[in-house]
Amino acid sequence: MSDAADLTDDLSRAVAGLVGDQAGAWDRAGLLPDDLLRKCGASGVLCAEVPREYGGHGLSSADNGELTARVGSLCSSLRSVMTSQGMAAWSIQRLGTASQRGALLPRLTGGELAAVAFSEPEAGSDLNAITTTIRAEGEHVVVDGRKKWITVGRYADLFVVFGRYGDSAAAVVVPRDTPGVHVEPVADPLGCRAAGHADIEFRSVRVPAGQVLGGPGQSLPMLVTAALTYGRISVAWGCVGILRACLGAAARHTTSRSQFGQKLAEHQLVAGHLADLVVAEQVAAQACAEASRARDEGAPGMFVKSVAAKHIGATHAARAAATTVQLLASAGAEDGTVAARAYRDAKLMEIIEGTNEICQLILADHAVAEWA
Amino acid sequence: MTTSPNAVTVEESIQAFLRERTKRSWELDVDLFATGGVSSLFAMELVVHLEKTFSVTIAGPDLMIDNFRTVRTMTALVGRLRGAGDSDE
Repeated sequence: MSDAADLTDDLSRAVAGLVGDQAGAWDRAGLLPDDLLRKCGASGVLCAEVPREYGGHGLSSADNGELTARVGSLCSSLRSVMTSQGMAAWSIQRLGTASQRGALLPRLTGGELAAVAFSEPEAGSDLNAITTTIRAEGEHVVVDGRKKWITVGRYADLFVVFGRYGDSAAAVVVPRDTPGVHVEPVADPLGCRAAGHADIEFRSVRVPAGQVLGGPGQSLPMLVTAALTYGRISVAWGCVGILRACLGAAARHTTSRSQFGQKLAEHQLVAGHLADLVVAEQVAAQACAEASRARDEGAPGMFVKSVAAKHIGATHAARAAATTVQLLASAGAEDGTVAARAYRDAKLMEIIEGTNEICQLILADHAVAEWA
Repeated sequence: MTTSPNAVTVEESIQAFLRERTKRSWELDVDLFATGGVSSLFAMELVVHLEKTFSVTIAGPDLMIDNFRTVRTMTALVGRLRGAGDSDE
């Protein structure tokens, strides 16, 4: 076994130790413990692709994906925190200057939490409709705008805020404690209930101009694509985790309960469902591996493959989670259980980081460009 | 200004990639993004293609859209990054 695989095992075991059997309780409470978040943050597990020189683990996308799936199989809320932190770290790594990387990445591997703020009340699927502005004012920039449903918004110490900068675009790092930042947690989200979703308002928020990643003059679609590609691969692997959790719950239940004189798993209609779960996990994992391989190779195909992996993962996880609740019946209808959480969490995966329909539009564009 | 053989190779390589992906040819100074035929994903594909093909890292301020508008600006970016090594400041 390679060193990276050993490291992935060690990291996922450490997270499993911290999560224990508490994911259901966190889900019902709608809150992750601060101690858990700080420990995970300081261990570098939340953004494990960050190079070692910045305090990270330097994992490949493939290894980080496996780690993400394992965390996702335990708790989709904590996995959402990983997605957020990793996307913030990647934005800093990709968009930032060398000195910004040196200043900010060690904070993200040292226990501070970060959220990425794209979506707005009028800019969900249509991110080109973003109206948040970032404007120069002497040695500072001033941020004004409202961001909606920001994962980890409730917990974050830092926000990576995407906005308009004159005719171009910029991403700026805003500390939570800056005057003018107002965080309003979303009450009772349907899924990933403890991921700390929040609406955030920035009212004349002044930060040093050096906090603008890479400086102004960038293209909004390019900024968004660069950041979202990490997020899509991460969500896709998280869906593999949901699928594995479903497989475990379904297999355990259908082999331990009998009806009509035989184990549930021995009933052929039930067996058919179990086979579907196996297929779903295999298909999603393969699509994720393909996207991660492209990313690790620096292949231009990574962008389309990450959309495909996210779409395949989300749709299979949503269907498989519904199947799992069906198999567990009343045992799966109890809130906070693996099946019930998977059912709600997977539905959210069909919405975030590009809805099913936005993914389909991107994939259709690809079909026309590549195959016509 | 004389064009170095190296620059011609970079230009031709970029033009070949664009032709393959967009099914049309691109003159040196035609704005890829002004014509509306290029998606946002494609812009990042271009970035990654240049990085991989020419062994450069395009990060931070170099990701500005103006660097990717034309074959000529991309060729200039690659030339500058190859000369400058892996520094972006």
